[in-house]
Amino acid sequence: MKLRVLSLCAFACTACAFDIDDFFDRLDTALTISAFHDNLRARLSGTLDLEIYHFEQPAPGLIDSSIDTLFNPRLTLFLDAQVGSHIYFFSQSRLDRGFDPSDNGAQIRLDEYALRVTPWDDGRLTLQIGKFATVVGNWIPRHLSWENPFINAPLVYENLTSIRDKSAPFSLFDFVYGFYYYQKYAFNPVIWGPSYASGISVSGRLDRFDYAVEMKNASLSSRPESWNVTENGFEHPTFSGRLGFRPNEAWNLGFSASEGPYFRREAETTLPPGRDIGDYREFVLGQDAGFAWRHVQVWVEFYEARFEVPRVGNADTFAYYVEAKYKFTPQFFGAIRWNQQLFGDVSNPDSGSVRWSDDLARIDLAAGYRFTSHTQLKLQYSYQHETTGQGRDNHLVAAQLTTRF
Amino acid sequence: MRLRGLLWFNAVFSIMPVALWASAVVEGRVELPKSHTAPVQAKRYEIVTKGGVLSTQPPLAVVYLDGAFPKLASLPTKQVAQKDLTFVPALLPVPVGTKVEFPNLDETYHNIFSYSPAKRFDLGRYRPEERPIPTQVFDKLGLVTLRCDIHEHMRGLILVLNTPYFVMTDTDGHFRLSGLPAGRYTLKAWIDSRTTREKPVELKNDQTLHIDFP
Repeated sequence: MKLRVLSLCAFACTACAFDIDDFFDRLDTALTISAFHDNLRARLSGTLDLEIYHFEQPAPGLIDSSIDTLFNPRLTLFLDAQVGSHIYFFSQSRLDRGFDPSDNGAQIRLDEYALRVTPWDDGRLTLQIGKFATVVGNWIPRHLSWENPFINAPLVYENLTSIRDKSAPFSLFDFVYGFYYYQKYAFNPVIWGPSYASGISVSGRLDRFDYAVEMKNASLSSRPESWNVTENGFEHPTFSGRLGFRPNEAWNLGFSASEGPYFRREAETTLPPGRDIGDYREFVLGQDAGFAWRHVQVWVEFYEARFEVPRVGNADTFAYYVEAKYKFTPQFFGAIRWNQQLFGDVSNPDSGSVRWSDDLARIDLAAGYRFTSHTQLKLQYSYQHETTGQGRDNHLVAAQLTTRF
Repeated sequence: MRLRGLLWFNAVFSIMPVALWASAVVEGRVELPKSHTAPVQAKRYEIVTKGGVLSTQPPLAVVYLDGAFPKLASLPTKQVAQKDLTFVPALLPVPVGTKVEFPNLDETYHNIFSYSPAKRFDLGRYRPEERPIPTQVFDKLGLVTLRCDIHEHMRGLILVLNTPYFVMTDTDGHFRLSGLPAGRYTLKAWIDSRTTREKPVELKNDQTLHIDFP
């Protein structure tokens, strides 16, 4: 009897899932408009994410919350528009509790907008202007909730270091040991998430090679507020680029580089006399590789970064991760990611040589199930351990239900 | 000798298309819905994109004779290709038990999948030159929606039918279904996932019926 009831429920769910898919397909058609004989077409789409995090304090990564269990809903709307075959526009706006998960109140933002011109059909050159994700690395194409096998970002994109962009450290001691004296949000990672800074990019493909270079108004480590052109102009631009090589469709290899000043304007008064923001830069070198075949996907990124820090000197760090995803069935997938970030030493005559942040290792495990082609549930567990210093641990458990339309 | 002759007769009989001794014809027109808007391709995070507008796929209908017909001894393998980031054809009617190949004719990866109750599968990512071409056997009646995990805008349909008598309309809705067996049946016009029109028909040999689906 129970089996029959279960079978009936399973059948009802399947039928319901099919109806939901059909509904979203119709909605998609309704949200696509065209004019001028299909030469102007626009589509409104989006995702609704319901996330819940449970962690130990201090909250890991870019999560900014004083409570241990955080509910973080997010509505994302995309507009994609195409004018003829050479002009493309897109935007992303969000209603959530902050760009990164936080216990703040609701806010609405325009996170991305860009106009892209592709003069030739073969893709040899593309120009893009606006506020959009960086061209560096290979994580960007899967950073949104539907594509990302995990709920959070790799460690290098979210681990807050001792670098802070709103004020310069008063001393080496302040730089190395000051982390816990300030609010967490005062610090910066090597790359802040997808880095939706404003600027212009040129990209294209030449046979098996592809290239992309960009000039942005903020460095890779800069916080979301710095990405707006109204907040931060182009007096101190950041230049980044990536050279990619695809020996075949399965492999994708790339080398990235970026350099630019990382201090915000308000830090100017805290700099040593006679120095300005442009004197302190962030340099990043990156190597990435991706492999995909049938149901397996593997990604690797290595980053070497250097920050020029006032009153301290060069602060170097090396970070990498290896990530793999496998689809066990058409609807069920699993993913594993190993992340590590190592920090170099900084020194001065008074304090001697000291590591500027504690080395970290983190393993992320995730499982996901797609109920329909529009709904997905992901569960994640992360264990983070400081491999130097006090050896602190942190456990994160998270769930994310995504509805895509 | 007589036994061998009988075996030959049986063998030829079993592979001979039913249409050879069925001769009724139905023709007419299906009122099709308004033409779709061409899909918009999301290219937000592709740092290298090619120009080009995705083609509009005009609505088509499938007209078929519903009834209890003997299964065909062998079914030809059909193809749904991925070309220029679309499914070609966008709609494929097949009799139940048909094997369908999914060749990738683009220079990029595709990842074809379906969560439809009639067929749940995921072919994963495969190269254009990869052999054998990934296939699926469609052994359950119903509508199968094909999608691509990489290219969100791609959508295709496979309509799995329990009849060997079906035809696709042209873009104006006209159809001609020939070689039909005599008898009383239901003629159906599948228009979209929610709309299937039907009419009872009585077919006689060497007769042509005209039926419209308004």
